[in-house]
Amino acid sequence: MIVIRIGQLADQLGVHRNTIRNWIRSGRLPARSMSGKRYLLTEADFSKICQEFGIDRSALRLKHVPGAPLMSREMGLMEENVRRIGQPSGRLLGAPSWGEACMTCGSCASACPISGVDGLDPRKAVRMAVLGLEEELLASQWPWKCTMCGKCERACPMNVEIVALIQRVRGLRDRDKVPGPLHKGVLMCLAKGNNLGIPKVDFVSLLDEMSREMVDEGCEGFTSPVDRKGSRIMMLVNSKEPFAEPDDMKHWWKIFHAAGESWTIPSENWEGVNWALFTGDDESLKTIVGRIVENMYRLECKTLLLPELGHSYYATRYGLQTWFREDLKNFTVTTVFDLLLSYINEGRIKIDPSRHKMLTTYNDPCHYGRKSLKTFGQGYFEEPRAIIKKCAPNYVDLYPNRADNYCCGAGGGGWATPFKEERVYFGRFKANQIATSRAGLVITACHNCRDQITKSLRYEYDLKADVKYIWELVADSLVLPGNRGKRT
Amino acid sequence: MIDFEEKVGSVMVVGGGIAGIQASLDLANSGFYVYLVESTGAIGGAMAQMDKTFPTNDCAMCILSPKLVECGRHLNIQLMTMTEMKQVEGELGNFTVFLRQHPRFVDVEKCIACGKCAQKCPQKVPDEFNRKINTRKAIFVKYPQAVPLKYQIDPVACNHMRGGRCRECEAVCPCGAIMFDDYPRDFQVKVGSIILAPGYRTFDPTGLSAWGYGRFPNVITAIELERYLAVSGPTSGNLVRPSDGKPVRRMAFLQCIGSRDYNQVLKNYCSSVCCMYAIKQAMIATDHNRNLQASIFHMDIRTPGKDFERFYDRARHRGIAFQRCRIHAVEPGEAGDDVTLRYLTENGKQISEQFDMVVLSVGMEPTPEVIALAERLRVALTPEGFAASSCFSPVHTSRPGIYACGVFAGPSDIPLSVIEASAAATAAAVRLSDVRYSLSRQKQFPPERNVEGEKPRIGVFVCNCGSNIADVVNVHDVARYAASLPEVVFVEKTLFACSQDSQEIIRKRIEEERLNRIVIASCTPRTHEPLFRETLRASGLNECLIEMANIRNQLAWVHAAQPDEATEKAKDLVRMAVSKAALLEPVPPVSVRITPQALVIGGGLAGMTAALGLADQGFPVHLVEKAAQLGGNTRHLFKTWKGEPIPPHMDMLASRVREHSLITIHLKSAVVQAEGYVGSFTSTIHKATGNITVDHGVVILATGGQAFKPVEYDYGLSQDIFTSLEFDKLYAVGDERIRNGRNFVFIQCVGSREPDRNYCSRVCCTHSIQSALTLKQEKPERRVFVLHRDVRTYGLREDLYRRAREQGVIFINYDVHQKPNVVVNEEGIEVIVWDHVLHEPFSIPADVVTLATAIVPNPDTRELAKIYKLPVDADGFLLEAHVKLRPVDFATDGIFLAGLAHYPKPIEESIAQAQAAVARAVTVLSSRWVDLDLVKARVDPRRCDACALCVDACPYEALAIERVESRSDSEKDRQELVVRPAKCKGCGTCQATCPKEGISVTGFSYAQLSAQVRSALTN
Repeated sequence: MIVIRIGQLADQLGVHRNTIRNWIRSGRLPARSMSGKRYLLTEADFSKICQEFGIDRSALRLKHVPGAPLMSREMGLMEENVRRIGQPSGRLLGAPSWGEACMTCGSCASACPISGVDGLDPRKAVRMAVLGLEEELLASQWPWKCTMCGKCERACPMNVEIVALIQRVRGLRDRDKVPGPLHKGVLMCLAKGNNLGIPKVDFVSLLDEMSREMVDEGCEGFTSPVDRKGSRIMMLVNSKEPFAEPDDMKHWWKIFHAAGESWTIPSENWEGVNWALFTGDDESLKTIVGRIVENMYRLECKTLLLPELGHSYYATRYGLQTWFREDLKNFTVTTVFDLLLSYINEGRIKIDPSRHKMLTTYNDPCHYGRKSLKTFGQGYFEEPRAIIKKCAPNYVDLYPNRADNYCCGAGGGGWATPFKEERVYFGRFKANQIATSRAGLVITACHNCRDQITKSLRYEYDLKADVKYIWELVADSLVLPGNRGKRT
Repeated sequence: MIDFEEKVGSVMVVGGGIAGIQASLDLANSGFYVYLVESTGAIGGAMAQMDKTFPTNDCAMCILSPKLVECGRHLNIQLMTMTEMKQVEGELGNFTVFLRQHPRFVDVEKCIACGKCAQKCPQKVPDEFNRKINTRKAIFVKYPQAVPLKYQIDPVACNHMRGGRCRECEAVCPCGAIMFDDYPRDFQVKVGSIILAPGYRTFDPTGLSAWGYGRFPNVITAIELERYLAVSGPTSGNLVRPSDGKPVRRMAFLQCIGSRDYNQVLKNYCSSVCCMYAIKQAMIATDHNRNLQASIFHMDIRTPGKDFERFYDRARHRGIAFQRCRIHAVEPGEAGDDVTLRYLTENGKQISEQFDMVVLSVGMEPTPEVIALAERLRVALTPEGFAASSCFSPVHTSRPGIYACGVFAGPSDIPLSVIEASAAATAAAVRLSDVRYSLSRQKQFPPERNVEGEKPRIGVFVCNCGSNIADVVNVHDVARYAASLPEVVFVEKTLFACSQDSQEIIRKRIEEERLNRIVIASCTPRTHEPLFRETLRASGLNECLIEMANIRNQLAWVHAAQPDEATEKAKDLVRMAVSKAALLEPVPPVSVRITPQALVIGGGLAGMTAALGLADQGFPVHLVEKAAQLGGNTRHLFKTWKGEPIPPHMDMLASRVREHSLITIHLKSAVVQAEGYVGSFTSTIHKATGNITVDHGVVILATGGQAFKPVEYDYGLSQDIFTSLEFDKLYAVGDERIRNGRNFVFIQCVGSREPDRNYCSRVCCTHSIQSALTLKQEKPERRVFVLHRDVRTYGLREDLYRRAREQGVIFINYDVHQKPNVVVNEEGIEVIVWDHVLHEPFSIPADVVTLATAIVPNPDTRELAKIYKLPVDADGFLLEAHVKLRPVDFATDGIFLAGLAHYPKPIEESIAQAQAAVARAVTVLSSRWVDLDLVKARVDPRRCDACALCVDACPYEALAIERVESRSDSEKDRQELVVRPAKCKGCGTCQATCPKEGISVTGFSYAQLSAQVRSALTN
């Protein structure tokens, strides 16, 4: 084999570099690309070219390398060391639309921000399932670096259920091999009612203490919301907040207070996170959702505010629709968007639009948008924008957006897995989107997006923008009764 | 069944696109009266919007325009523009059609298309014909060459009609043609059959966020690009970026937009034409600008038509990049109005690339109006919205007497649309043949004016050809110069000399100015002279008194860079034409009697279909088949792609042929000799019992093809490696190798798309996939692999491909440089193939390997082509007169072709082509006399001494020496040279051979040519 560089060969042959490129592209010069703009050519092909152009090849100094690796085009396809094609067992592909319908067009792998990581991409994952390379796929870490954001599915002209396949792949892995704390979190949640194992006494006293702080901060008459039977609304809490960022809980509390809402937080099984979705563990997912249903009955609430976190909203809504259809006759569910928008539209809270003057944008969380649209036939795209525009009228959209939006990179449990480099690499699209939008404030509605952008992307990609939850934005824009005009 | 008396000898054709036009012309030329219904203001359809046509890159308008004009002035075609079909009552043979004509607000009888109204009209609106790239006025003609060339008012845009008080057009119209009080008219027409050719619309990508159409200014659709590239388009053929008018440097074509998409678009079919038109557009764009880099992003390149594969090769060699990756989204670019495309390379690496223009190769879809029409007419549709039909009757709809062609019958390109149109004409005519001529009218020309002895009065018409000529040549200068030439008494410039209104102008000028010689300085006589000749006849002039100066093809198109010199050359050409024209003489017309009988060669599916089509219309047929039985290759096929069993149809066909009183079958026979010309052939048929001769007016060649016998992939070395046809046979008889087989491998493109046979065999992908699907459906646990280069399930066949994948058939895309390796060893067969997704080789243990072998032409075809002096192409297939618009004709009149002899094709296309050949043949057979071309050799008795030198030189055996007996004893018997005009092609070989100027070709006499040459040399 001969290694050539295009410029070098062009000089030698006396033609333009583009001519050589065209030859390679058209197949006239059967060269294979190597790393670093070099191409590999067989001796025979090179001799032919030399002959054609009347060049004495002995006069040329060329780099020769031994025959290319096995199965190169020149060697033909020989029997040795070739794997047999596998036999799919049927446990990976739930239906033809999970893989077999694939036309191998490449849309998914073109769209995926981590194509090429570990040598895999969505198309290859589907292909491995179809060709029966199941053990290899199950052993690969790639499905755990995938954020299951569904961008690939959105692009797929054949509507292949790639996310369902990835979820199945994750679910089939031995539980002790699930990366990071994901499975441990699920176990903990099943055992203690929340992922971090926070005891009930600690949780209740924390909430008591914070309620007193709320009064000090100007919310007169605020009392602890724990286990208030007969409340209209029941909400859940992401365990990371009481554990590490308790003040973040106050955004909602302020809004509820301002709106005069009747609401409660259960003292047990209050976890607003559902990692079973990420580990492909349907049994646990169902159990966790079931406990939420139990809480609704126990506290005699009328409306469940679906958890804030994108995946958890999705998992809970999915769980309710799949296993608790009958219970949905006894209570209603609402989302953070519907609730906030109703407060604003019904005049239950007052918003000061002058506090957020900076250019503001919104990051569509995959689960609230694209995946919700696909699974439930309804995605939350316009509602968050309507809310944001009330609070921060100087608004700009990222591109692409809505159902075409890029995942922040921390979805699919990414924030909890040990694959930090991949998560940051994944986030380069989001970082670029935010940078080109020139927004000074990014609003999102998902804890993972917020943490990824705030704690990773801002540092890794030198972003200047601030990040807020959409309820944080509303809370910060509230005009509290009695404190008219004063910033809370 | 309807009574004989009640049948109506007219046909309604709905849709004035190329399919509707072709169907109308075929029927009108074979004794029927035709109503051509068009919903817009002018016929021409989608083809009129196109710049060039693949694979020849002919100018679309230039080849369409003569047909438009012929339609526009045909005595037996009534154009009904702006008309909508509302309802149909009655049945086959006697339909009552209810129509509504929408108001045009311009009186077509009065409008002379002077254009003053549009000049004056203050209201500009986006021009739909140019895909809203530019604007038109509220009063407008659809496009410059429109037929009928009549203005119309857009009531939505018109100031006056919206309540304003403009009325400017009315004030300026010299003919009083404006009718603001025009109203919709409902009326009814009785017809015997109805042909539906309502066409399609291109998919509208607006609102689909992925491709950013409407968001990024430089993302355009292919049909918009077509208008950008068109010389007569809004940018006069300059390809510029819509955002900033800068030239385009990096251009991307995204295939399958609105086709083969089961997610956001829900289109379960391939639009069949987009791959080819994208390649064509990329070629033309790089023609315009050699530095332009074009990339075509595709899933499969589908070039299964005649000469398409070579076209694709040429594009690759030119450096157009073909990337096998569907683009998932168009995203903002790094700079300005550029865009970014992120895609996978052939090696599976994700890269992103900047482009300054993106073209969406949008597919075709039925319009809601057409679907509603079909529902009103109770015509069944496929789930995709196209007319449902059987493969055995491809142009019949579910309702007897109503036929479908063009894209309405399924996504198709122009040649297939034209074939289907002619086939629909046959289908309509067969059931009405007993009322042929009952409503048609004969063309009447005014008596010919005698110009003998008149001094030449030459009229010169200089054509702008839109901007084709006028952009390069200073047409005013040329016209002024022409006026200064001797004997020129009249000069006029025209926008399009070939448009219908120009014919009327020429006719008027001939009368007013008493012109007796005409020079048209425009394009090539090859395509346009017949048109002008007819105009001369309509003006009472002998049709030979015309000369054309080709200032387009030979001038404007080749000297675009040197306008001044080009103008000078144009003057030279006009001067030469004028000096020759002065010497033109009238020649009396020659007609020959038609022998109303046909010869069909080939007794396969196409041959039998053609024989029945002719015989059913009352024309006796001789059917010649070399084998001992009828049926040809189709005897080896079992199912159409739609799943219909073939053998019963073939049995029915063969028995109908055998029993038909007008068909004479010659088995084990071959044509060995032939002579004659259109209307009067004599062929010698060699039979086992001896030779017989047959007189016939037309010939249809349907000599078929054969399966290629492979040498590759160890064919013949194993009992388990078959060709597709062998596989079918073994499957049909329940061979245990197949019955018990668990692993099946199909290898595509065996012998096709190779240097020796650089064409796609069109049917093999569908065929293999169908077999694969059957295997899987029977036993889902079987593993079936299809190794392909591109999956070419064009049109509605895409559904088979999708179903096969969903059943678990695995498709592996192999590269021609790295074909699969079939290894036969003791344990069985291993097929080793490189997987295009995982980029590693796999071995597949195969119980059965099926090779999808090429279709090759019948070797006898070449022999037969010699006998009838017909061309064959490089692959050995018969070469038709024009790949686009005359797909079943030959350049030689009276000879037609159908079936595999033309190119590989599936059952339904062979049947359609056979029916099309019938339609074309019937246009000859149904006219009792045929006028011959007048460009013939003529003997000058004063100079010819019958030396017979020319007799041997004549390639058409048109010359002979005859003995003339002396009239008196004093004289000796003489020899005399005679020309058989019907055989003479006017090639001029005789004239070149003759040392005595004793024979010359009409219009090319020595005197005329030397006048022309002298004039070229003296300025």
